[in-house]
Amino acid sequence: MQDQNQQAYDRGTSIFSPDGRLYQVEYAREAIKRGTASVGVRTGEGVALAADRQTRSPLIEEDSIEKLHRVDDHIAVASAGHVADARQLVEFARKQAQRNRLRYDEPVGVESLAKEVTDYIQQYTQSGGVRPFGVALAIGGVDPDGTPRLFETDPSGTPYEWKATAIGGNRETLQGHLEDNYRPEMDLDGGVGLALETLAESSDGLDAETVEVTTVDVESHRVRSLEPDEIAPHLDELEGTDE
Amino acid sequence: MSNFTDPLTGEDAVSDPYAPEVGGIETADAGQQGNDENAVNKTGTTTVGISTQEGVAVATDRRASLGGRFVSNKSVQKVEQIHPTAALTLVGSVGGAQSFIRTLRSESDLYEVREGEPMSIHALATLAGNFARGGPFFAINPILAGVDEEGSHVYSIDPAGGVMADDYTVTGSGMQLAYGTIEGQYDEEMSLAEARELAVRAVEAASERDTGSGNGATVATVTDEGVEIETFEDTADAAAE
Repeated sequence: MQDQNQQAYDRGTSIFSPDGRLYQVEYAREAIKRGTASVGVRTGEGVALAADRQTRSPLIEEDSIEKLHRVDDHIAVASAGHVADARQLVEFARKQAQRNRLRYDEPVGVESLAKEVTDYIQQYTQSGGVRPFGVALAIGGVDPDGTPRLFETDPSGTPYEWKATAIGGNRETLQGHLEDNYRPEMDLDGGVGLALETLAESSDGLDAETVEVTTVDVESHRVRSLEPDEIAPHLDELEGTDE
Repeated sequence: MSNFTDPLTGEDAVSDPYAPEVGGIETADAGQQGNDENAVNKTGTTTVGISTQEGVAVATDRRASLGGRFVSNKSVQKVEQIHPTAALTLVGSVGGAQSFIRTLRSESDLYEVREGEPMSIHALATLAGNFARGGPFFAINPILAGVDEEGSHVYSIDPAGGVMADDYTVTGSGMQLAYGTIEGQYDEEMSLAEARELAVRAVEAASERDTGSGNGATVATVTDEGVEIETFEDTADAAAE
C-alpha cells in the first residue's frame, strides 16, 4: 500500500505526495550519497576545500576528474554527486559571477552567488518535465570585504552556511568528525589539515596525487590549488597519528 | 543569450547585466527617439557636484524649457535621492531623466535588501553607466554624488554610458559658465559648507547668462548620514544659507 502510494507521487518533481514530500528531491539527495565526499572548512584566514578523486582504473588521467572548480578569482566550488550536473551549476555560477562584474564592476559576494545558484536549483523542483540536480555543492570564498564564507547547496534549492561541512557519501560520519575537531581559531593550514583528516575518515588511504585541495585566503582573495608536494606533509601527519 | 534558462518561465536565467531587473528595456517606448525635439521638455540646466572630505555638495537650477526657447516650468527639482547616501541630478530630457532616477532607485533598493548593505558608489556609477548605454533613457547627462566607506565621490554619466569620476564636475547647457566659476576656487581641503556655497555661485553665474538655466536653485548635501535637499526661489538665498 505504501509503495503504491509512493509510485503515484514520485514521478513528477512538481507534485507533492499526500504527506507533503517531494520524492524526486529526496531521490536526488540519495544520488548525492552515492558520490564520494568533499569537505569544506572555514577558518579566519580563509576557506579550504578538499575532495578525493576515486579512480576506476590506473589508466585514467586524474586531472580529468574534476571535483573542485574555480568559479571566479575569489570563489571555488567542491561537488559531490553527479559530476555532469555539477558542471552545469559551476558554469551557471561562473556566468553569474561575471555578470556581477559587468553590472557593478565588483566581485560577487559569496552569499549572493550561493543564493543565485540555489534559486536556479529550486526552479528545477517546481517545473514539469525536468528533474532536480543530483548534486550538492560546497561554495567557498572570500567576500569583497575580506570575510571568508562557506555555503552548501542542496537539491531542494536551500542554501546553508557552515563553519565546516562535508557533502556526499558517508556524510554523517564526516560531519561528526568535523564537529568533534573543528576549532574556530585554527589557521588556514590547520583548516587544510582538518579537511584532509576528515576526508580520510571515509577512505582507505589518501594519496597526494589523487586528493585535490583548494584554498581561498583572505589576504590575496585568490583561489589556489595545492600541489601534491604541499598536500603530502599533511597526509604523512595523518598516517603518524593513526599508528 | 546564455545556455541557462528558467524552466518555469523559459527566460534567460542569467539576466542581462546591462538592463534594469524590474521594467526591462522592452517595456519602454522604443520610438521615443523619434519624438518631435521641440515637444520634449528638456532641462537645459546647470548641475554642479563638488566633492569634499566631509561629503558632496550638489547645486542645480530649476528651469525646464521647450526647444531652449520657452520656459515650460520654473520649479523643477533636478536633484533626487536614489540611495541612502547618494543623489543624482536630472539633466537632458525630463522624461528620460525621471525614468532613469526611478530605475536606479529601485535597483539600489533591491540590491540593499538582498545584500543587507547599500551598494557602493562605484557599483552604483557602473550600473548607471550600463543603463545609460544600453537602456531607453535617451539624452541624459546626470551627475552622481555619493558617499560610502571609500569616501566622497562625484561622477558624471554621459548619454553613451561614459562614467567619469572627478573632484568636481558640471553638466548641462550652462556648463562652461559654471566651470569658469569653480576653476581656481576649488580646493581639496575645502569644507562642505564652502563647497556648497561655491556650487551655488556656479549655478548663479550660469543662470545669469545661459537661457536654459535659471529660476533659483536646489541644493543637496550628501554625507555618510544621508541626503538633504533644499529648494530656493533665489540663488542669492541659497548661497546665504
